Amino acid sequence: MKAKKLLSLSLAAVLAMGTLAGCGEKKSDKIQISVGGWPAKEGQALDDKVAQKAGYEAMYPGVEIVPDTWAFDLNTFYPKANSGKLPTVYNTHYTEVEKIVSAGYAADLTEKMKADGFENLLNPNVAPIITSDGKIYAYPISAHINGLAYNVRLFEAAGLMNEDGTPKQPKDWNEVVEFAKLIKEKTGMAGFMFPTAKNQGGWRFTMFAWSFGADFMEQDADGKWIATMNTPECEAALQFVKDLKWVHDVLPSNTLIDDQEYFKLFSTGQVGMMFGADDTPANTVKYEMPLDDLGLMPMPAGPARRVTMLGGGLFFVSDKADADQINAAVDWIKYTGFTPKMDEAAKENREKLYQQYVSEGRLVGIRQLSPWSEDSEFNQFEKEMNEKYLNANINHFKAFNDSILDLEAAGIEIQTEEPVCCQDLYTVLDNCVQEVLNNKDADVKQLLENANADFQTNYLDNMAY
Amino acid sequence: MKIENHIIRQKQRERAKKNLLAWLLFLPALIVLYFIIWRPQVMGFAWSFFRMKGYRVEEFVGFDNYRIVLSNTHFVQWLLNTVKYVLWSLVVGFIPPYIVALMINEMVHLKNTFKVVIYLPMIVPGIAAFLIWKLMYSSDATGLLNMFLSLFGMEPYVWLQDGRFTILFIVISMTWKSMGGAMLLYFAAVQGISTELYEAAVIDGAGMWKRILHVTLPQTSGVLLLNLIRQIISVFQVMEEPLSMTGGGPNEASVSLGYKIYQYGIVGNNQVGQALAISGIMFVLLIICTIFYFYFNKKIQEQY
Repeated sequence: MKAKKLLSLSLAAVLAMGTLAGCGEKKSDKIQISVGGWPAKEGQALDDKVAQKAGYEAMYPGVEIVPDTWAFDLNTFYPKANSGKLPTVYNTHYTEVEKIVSAGYAADLTEKMKADGFENLLNPNVAPIITSDGKIYAYPISAHINGLAYNVRLFEAAGLMNEDGTPKQPKDWNEVVEFAKLIKEKTGMAGFMFPTAKNQGGWRFTMFAWSFGADFMEQDADGKWIATMNTPECEAALQFVKDLKWVHDVLPSNTLIDDQEYFKLFSTGQVGMMFGADDTPANTVKYEMPLDDLGLMPMPAGPARRVTMLGGGLFFVSDKADADQINAAVDWIKYTGFTPKMDEAAKENREKLYQQYVSEGRLVGIRQLSPWSEDSEFNQFEKEMNEKYLNANINHFKAFNDSILDLEAAGIEIQTEEPVCCQDLYTVLDNCVQEVLNNKDADVKQLLENANADFQTNYLDNMAY
Repeated sequence: MKIENHIIRQKQRERAKKNLLAWLLFLPALIVLYFIIWRPQVMGFAWSFFRMKGYRVEEFVGFDNYRIVLSNTHFVQWLLNTVKYVLWSLVVGFIPPYIVALMINEMVHLKNTFKVVIYLPMIVPGIAAFLIWKLMYSSDATGLLNMFLSLFGMEPYVWLQDGRFTILFIVISMTWKSMGGAMLLYFAAVQGISTELYEAAVIDGAGMWKRILHVTLPQTSGVLLLNLIRQIISVFQVMEEPLSMTGGGPNEASVSLGYKIYQYGIVGNNQVGQALAISGIMFVLLIICTIFYFYFNKKIQEQY
């Protein structure tokens, strides 16, 4: 009986301890920074990171790198951030800046950026995105503009490739429609694709509508934001999207396209054209799209403007980091190859990343904007690397690369995301795009009137919360 | 008097000693329940009255979060959609597991095989199951259901993209996924019915339908009622299905309150307060259902 009791008691104790396990951490007298996005699988990527860690710790003996396999993910971000379990440094996209900075989860990097002399080296288009109230909250590592991605094989089948292997370039959206019709007619595949779901539709629609002269919000004299999408320009843009389906019939039959579906349809050769950027290969490689099937052209012009959206990647440092950790974290980013002033280590590490892309079968050669000044060492090195590791037919994206070098000559304007309540705006616009693609009788004007009112009352009027 | 007191106290002490061990064994579960169910529920409710910065409490704002959510021009639609999920799930999903349970009960061979086969979808991870259904519902000619239609020379149908029936189609996939559990419960209840009752019914000349109507149904009505309320409670919280199949579309036709919590709390910029307010509203609605559940549960337990 006693033995049984003892057993029960110890069982209870073990169970209780099991629930409490995991508390407590080891301490070290070195400055510790955890680095997010550490590769979880064995392979080249992990080997490279381990080598980088060793190299960095040799260069900065007072710092210890702690690998963390967590990579930015919306679903786990808030709980991680609030419990102080974010990695000291992790990367994400421009689109998340508003969320992270407004919630106060980003460390202020201004001091370090000033100390390194990077503050004035930032690309003037990128600087406002990462700056809030005069403070720099993120470290940019890439900057890209959107263009028109196309499937070379479908273009060939539709007779849209020139003899030298460059594609015919549609000047404006009307020509895009002509091309799309040809593709549909010759191949049976959808000529063009517009994403529609999980905020992707709204995000792309803002850029599309800018080219029609539309805007979505403005600030009045009192600083209050007013929704401004109930305009003839915005109407024309939405009507154009509607006509793609009901007049020209060049879209895929699926009208609920989120980001995954978007890249799946394109990579598997079911769509002729879509919005894309230099980071499109990172997504198409998942579906093993042949390298010579992927092409990219500069953005066509709209009735009012030829405009494209600026996007890119950046690093955040956790708000829990102290000054030493902030310095160590930024030094780590620099060491891995993302710095306007490239030293030998940075160059070596950056080159390794290109080698990794090639071994993964990911297309290399599409140029991007520099997050730093045009003549920075970073930009020069990128140019070299893109030439050295080019692994596809350059003619498929030559015009895009040329336009990157001289946007003014190409007549392309750059615009950044809408200033406030972006994700809410995208949700509202998603609904508009879905409605016009699913309902042949949708009243575009009324739809935008409602969307405008919804956006104003539901979101802009509640911004204080 | 004194002796009586003494005896009572001794009895109490003995009971406490006995209970101590029970409490000790119960403790780990209690701790887990506290951390993952009770604490978040209470704190979420409390925080819904605060302005939140990320998950940090900023300032008490009274009912402002509730005002923002309730005055949202789409709130009524989200609520109605959620009710629609529940209603469709009752129409589509409530009776089939019962019928299947009855059928399996009547089978002579392969009883267990069928039980396992029908239970299998339960062990498929949720998102995976709904992605499979999303592919089956695909609106072009490659969708499984459209392939089926084309056998009869019919045009492809848009399935999930038809806003009038999006919720119905989602509910069909939910039923496929979850009916195994309910089926097993019903099956157990049906098996528990005394065979004497059937024998008596047969002697009285009752056919199959009469036996079901006058013996099986009354004998299992308790389980049916409990499952009804359980189903209402669980379907009311529907979230991962619209998330993985439609993203709430087309034009909000499949947005549920649960999905909206996800959008406010995770996708939106700094709207955790509003997410908590919707949780608060759902909490109140569901607690009413739960009170009914316990009320009936007690009644039914008394019945057996």
